[in-house]
Amino acid sequence: MNGALSSWAAGLRASVSLMVGYAPIAFSFGVIGVQSGFSPCQTLAISAGIFAGASQFLMVAMLAAGSGTLAVLSTVLLMNLRHVFYGPALMARLQKPPRRLRPWLAFGLTDEVFATAMAHAARQPLDGAWCLGLATGAYAAWVAGTGLGAGFGGQWQTGDGVISRAMAFVLPALFLALSMQAYQRRDWPIVLSALVTTVIGLAWLPAHWALLLGMLSGALAGTMMPRSNREAA
Amino acid sequence: MTFWWLVLATGLGTFLIRYLPLRHGQRLIHAGSRLERFFTALGVAALTALIVLSAGEVWWAAEDMAIASVAIVAGTLGVFVTLRKTGNIGLATLAGALIYGLASQGGL
Repeated sequence: MNGALSSWAAGLRASVSLMVGYAPIAFSFGVIGVQSGFSPCQTLAISAGIFAGASQFLMVAMLAAGSGTLAVLSTVLLMNLRHVFYGPALMARLQKPPRRLRPWLAFGLTDEVFATAMAHAARQPLDGAWCLGLATGAYAAWVAGTGLGAGFGGQWQTGDGVISRAMAFVLPALFLALSMQAYQRRDWPIVLSALVTTVIGLAWLPAHWALLLGMLSGALAGTMMPRSNREAA
Repeated sequence: MTFWWLVLATGLGTFLIRYLPLRHGQRLIHAGSRLERFFTALGVAALTALIVLSAGEVWWAAEDMAIASVAIVAGTLGVFVTLRKTGNIGLATLAGALIYGLASQGGL
């Protein structure tokens, strides 16, 4: 139990950079939710119950524009469909896939949590309790950030200082740091394929479809590499 | 009332999209199979796609794309150098973001 608890705490510590990345985005979501006509309680419920960044912004925008319930539901679920690939990929990298933790791990499996866990798995064995600690920190930051944004949204003025600009680059910087740590020279076909496909996809498709296509194209490139190239990755 | 049902249905649907493949998908993955290699490569591929997407959003939202381009390169170098020097992802993230903030405001 102590081992699982210390592993959970290590995952929570590892989530600090994710929390720094999530907080300003969650705060923005809280502000936008209230400004779109939802109560702070409703805005907070969206973040607490769904926990899926970009699709929450879309949901609020569609509801504020008067879209129908079924249209909103199907659009949000379609947007989150890329997450179907994360669970099997995560379970394949876990040392001992924990049965009891599975629902909790699944609830917290956002793009960023998945990416951080995969970057960690490239360096050392991945543990279920560690992943849960990571997801806990991310979820806490997301809900707390939304609550602050929804609570103080009316008084918030968008700044244009260095800090405000820096906050816009926190998530790209986090993904860069994670990928630099996870990257191995033999991964270049995966990176190149994902990069080119995502860039081309962004020119023609909504961002979530470009993301899905980029991921799939990179992963497919991985299946075409000689087995010895990927075994140690 | 419709709002609360929608939040419930969306939350449940998103959870099932994540949970069902996590619970059942592993049975399909055999060691050394193409599917295993697919899922092993998915992490690096997702990180790459997320970099393009998030940096692209910052770039498109900028008032001056030339300054934003220089700032993104400066921020990326900041992440790289800090990560090489410290090995700390959190510090590298914050350093890269701060350098981007300074560069995009013409402070560098």
